[in-house]
Amino acid sequence: MDSFVEQLKRGTEEEFTEESVWDGSAVNTTSSSLPAIYLPLLPRNLRHPTTRGRKATEFQETKKACLNYIQDALLQHQWQRAAEFMTNYLETLENTSAEKRMAAPEVIWRIGTEILCHHSKSSIEEFNYFAEQMKNLGVKRYLKVCLEHVFHLLCNGLIDEAYQNLSLAEGWRYGEQTTAQDKELKLIQAYKGLLDYYNWTKKRTAMLELDGNFADSVEQEMHSFFRQAAVNLREIIKIPGVWDPFVKSYVDLLEFYEDYDEVRQVLSEYAYNSKFPPNPNAHVYYYQFLKRQGESKKTLMSVLKILHEIVPSHELMLDICQLQKSKLQILQICFTPRLHSQEGKISDSEEICEETQLCPFESIWCFGFLHASLMFTRCL
Amino acid sequence: MEFPGSLFPAFCSAGPPRPARPRPAPLAGWGLRARAGARRGPAPGEVYSTSQEEGRELGPCRGVCGALPAPQREQSCPHTDAPRHPLRGADSKEAPGRQDWGAALDFTGQLARFFLDHPEEAFGAMGRLLQENFYLGEARLRSKARENTISVKTLVQELGRREGRRHCPQLQPSPRLRRFSCLSRDWLFEVPLGLLAECLHEELALQCAKLLFDDAPTGGALAWLPTEDGLLPPEAAWRCVALDTVPGFQEVALEQVAGGLQPHARPPGAVRAQWPGPPGGCHAGSRGSPRRRSLGLSLWCLAAPDDAAPVPLQVIRTDAPASCLTVSPHLPGELSVCTLSGAVYLWNVETGLQRLRQDPETAFFREASPWRWSEFTSHPRVLSCADRTGLQCLDVRAPTSCQFDLFKVGGEAECQRGERVMLPMYLGRAHPCQHLVATQFSVYVLDERFPLVPMLRWEHMLEAPPIFAHLAPGRSQETSHKVLLGAHRTQELLLLQYTGGSHSACQLTGPPRRLHPISQGLQHLSPQVTPWQGLLHQRLAAPAAGVTAAPAKQEPLEPLLVFQLSEAGDLFYQSLVPEPPAESESSEAPTSPPSLPVPAVAGQPSPAWGASLGSGSEESGPLPGPVSEGSANAGQAAAPEEAMPSVGLAAAAPYGCWLTALIRAWSRRPEQSQPQRPPTIGHQRLFTHGELSQPAGASPLYRQARQLLRRAMRERACLAPWALGLPPTPLAMPDPVEPRAWPDDLSKRLTASWAGGWGEWWEEKLGVTRPTSCTR
Repeated sequence: MDSFVEQLKRGTEEEFTEESVWDGSAVNTTSSSLPAIYLPLLPRNLRHPTTRGRKATEFQETKKACLNYIQDALLQHQWQRAAEFMTNYLETLENTSAEKRMAAPEVIWRIGTEILCHHSKSSIEEFNYFAEQMKNLGVKRYLKVCLEHVFHLLCNGLIDEAYQNLSLAEGWRYGEQTTAQDKELKLIQAYKGLLDYYNWTKKRTAMLELDGNFADSVEQEMHSFFRQAAVNLREIIKIPGVWDPFVKSYVDLLEFYEDYDEVRQVLSEYAYNSKFPPNPNAHVYYYQFLKRQGESKKTLMSVLKILHEIVPSHELMLDICQLQKSKLQILQICFTPRLHSQEGKISDSEEICEETQLCPFESIWCFGFLHASLMFTRCL
Repeated sequence: MEFPGSLFPAFCSAGPPRPARPRPAPLAGWGLRARAGARRGPAPGEVYSTSQEEGRELGPCRGVCGALPAPQREQSCPHTDAPRHPLRGADSKEAPGRQDWGAALDFTGQLARFFLDHPEEAFGAMGRLLQENFYLGEARLRSKARENTISVKTLVQELGRREGRRHCPQLQPSPRLRRFSCLSRDWLFEVPLGLLAECLHEELALQCAKLLFDDAPTGGALAWLPTEDGLLPPEAAWRCVALDTVPGFQEVALEQVAGGLQPHARPPGAVRAQWPGPPGGCHAGSRGSPRRRSLGLSLWCLAAPDDAAPVPLQVIRTDAPASCLTVSPHLPGELSVCTLSGAVYLWNVETGLQRLRQDPETAFFREASPWRWSEFTSHPRVLSCADRTGLQCLDVRAPTSCQFDLFKVGGEAECQRGERVMLPMYLGRAHPCQHLVATQFSVYVLDERFPLVPMLRWEHMLEAPPIFAHLAPGRSQETSHKVLLGAHRTQELLLLQYTGGSHSACQLTGPPRRLHPISQGLQHLSPQVTPWQGLLHQRLAAPAAGVTAAPAKQEPLEPLLVFQLSEAGDLFYQSLVPEPPAESESSEAPTSPPSLPVPAVAGQPSPAWGASLGSGSEESGPLPGPVSEGSANAGQAAAPEEAMPSVGLAAAAPYGCWLTALIRAWSRRPEQSQPQRPPTIGHQRLFTHGELSQPAGASPLYRQARQLLRRAMRERACLAPWALGLPPTPLAMPDPVEPRAWPDDLSKRLTASWAGGWGEWWEEKLGVTRPTSCTR
């Protein structure tokens, strides 16, 4: 902790070993005037009382005060007032301090976006113009600005413009900066894939409606959209994360072309790879796919059992009742403690099963981890 | 319970927290859809339908006001004894509007603790000297021994009796002790400066750290206590519970604040009662002799009708100070307790305490803070236990084996390095599976069904870490849930709104809004004379002690009443009503920029404020009606000074009442709260009458001297010897010294240096010694 504070004190960007803080070896509790908790917005002079370094110039002081007023206005939803301060704050791009000059574009971009999103008189053209300006203001956050711009366009229903922006951003290359913004690039490609999928669905419905004359050309377009979407979506799904919309789209695409093996592989990877977070939706998608495929009850049950361990109250638990005719087995699944415990399972389940049919639901639910009252009211 | 069918895309990788890069910290929460939950990338189903005015219809807030009649409370003195912050003034230029901090640096107390902690160093020397002259035994002294020895038996007995009541403000010093202290306070002790300085430095460091961040008031001392049926008699509108974390309220203060609210703004009751926050303040900062005020927890029953006093149900004692006490939302009479020794207990009124865990180490990585917190979860037998590094859920039935991690400071939640859990809160009233975790950087909404990966993440940009939180759940799935975050020292209050959790993924609705802190009330008060102004400023700038909110019953608007308690004991409230739709205002907007009506300027919650003072001002009665705020200040948003909400005459009325009550309480302040005179004793206590009486056969000179002495004592003047009329006799000059009578080297050298020829003498000395040494 202290070493962390020390590092901030120096204000440098030098790297220190990740493990030192992570495993706690850097934590020591020497008597220090600093609190044990790192406070991010503590004034610098409280953090290290000895005055070191250069004193801030009046220009910097003014800009700092201006920023505080902007922040105040934003938090009180006074967008017009914030915008007026913002016009004055733009001068900070000429700041004499190199550090502040570097940080200024990001500040201006964030605040400007926020103001333009909420100001009653802002229009989408103004927002586009602002975003273009911000993209040219620095290469370090080019892709991030692009991504945010696309989100804004999508939220306003401007899908074509968003698609154009995504295509432009996808091809952006700037030496090392491209690799530094790898995550943003991946997201941009994925969202482009998502929009390709959207276009693909439009073409599909169009093709189904059309007669044979135009269907060929439409089908050609549809296939090209499929190829673009599949490449991009497959890429992002490999990285650990939460990719529900992407996975759904990708599965839909593949199922249309009947590539079921790939779907099965993707979904089982998404659900069971330990590098991925324990997303309940991954199991739901896998189960739904298997159900569509008409898999055996045993396979379906095994998927549902794993889902039950994560979310005992999920709606799909009702399917357990349909799949398992024996109430005894249902109870065994439901009353198995949810957490990874060594507790013994209920042994004499027969008696309990007999009782549960008679008892009101409230009296039995304390036997085990069971969240869904819904389930028992139906199955018992 | 449904789980959202599709969550927002996000990278997620286990591992250590990402390094904190220097970036515009106060702005971290703005402008990013990708990071703030609401404004994350849209999910596919919503790409085409998400409209611009997400959550706009539910935004707060137009201020209305009312004033609360003051609760009855002993503590009526202003917060005048708040000493200065040691670093105050250093940050005066940092931010406009930043208020001063008050905190205690009590050197007298520290010295007293030093005497208690180091009696050997402080009294050892004098004690050994006086050992023979003090008799500590019980028996009476024999006549012979009484010549040189005094018995201090009664003194010791008296000290022992007073030990338990040392902190009682009403305790009068007994005459015997006072006399002894007058006699001996100047010479009895000895202060080893090195040791004292070391202790003082350590103490100052602790105090300073505590000033910057103090986790004792975590959770707050204010809670909304809803009633059973929701149908309230009009005179019992609402109640607040204050616990003894507030300095000055040593005892649990349950109070009922009745009346005062306007009829339309009366909140309906709900069904649950809770005492949040640490039930006992603890003095962890004082070194050596911790003055832990309260190791006891008590559970009170409020089932009685409104007029009846609350009944204590059960009182327990813990071996370490408790840091958390939460009430089960599932089962009546069940609570969870955490202590600073790392223990988690389940407290059932019928079966007593059950210890679930005792682990002084933190859960995920090493962290020195002993702070722990515990909440209930969606399952009535599962508790969540938090420390600074994260949250774990454990099953009450098998606490050692059945547990899973709900949140940890790490890569899954995209935490930053140095981030620590400040306050977890169970959001069961919004969604049964949701939890809120506030750190000093961000707030997270977690779902038990998808642990470790937050459903919602937003950087809150608060200046001080949020340690108070309150949830006002939305009435239906469509309306947003409102979360209030409060900071301790800076009194900041932030309102967040979010939706989702069951059908759709969690989203923030609309930008956050800062509510007005107590200290901004100063500008609504009429100008006072300077000392009063200073006192008022100090009083209003006292750190916050709790935040709560309650829905008010007012049909078309259904405002939300937000209450904020300060450590000085003042209770303030503001009322938030939904914003009108933005379209109507923007359509009316004139084109010229200076006269633009800013949508939110008119929606200031503050110009009219309710204020309640912790003093006996019952007679103030119901205060003027709600002041509907005009748009008088809507156009003048250019300069910050003008943009501050101006107060109309009517709006200032509640503040005026508060001020009158405060001033009345100050002027009626009881005697003992004024600074006490230093204890003095009369001379007849020091000397016997015989000693004071005139000795026989005194000369007129003695008589004159005695008169002069009396007069000098009466006039408190100095008495110089020449006042007696005797001229000061000049001192006789000593005989001149004959240098030759002192033939040794040192005397010669001194003589030479006295005469100014020391250098020559030395050279001569060297010149003399060298040839002698050479010849030898």
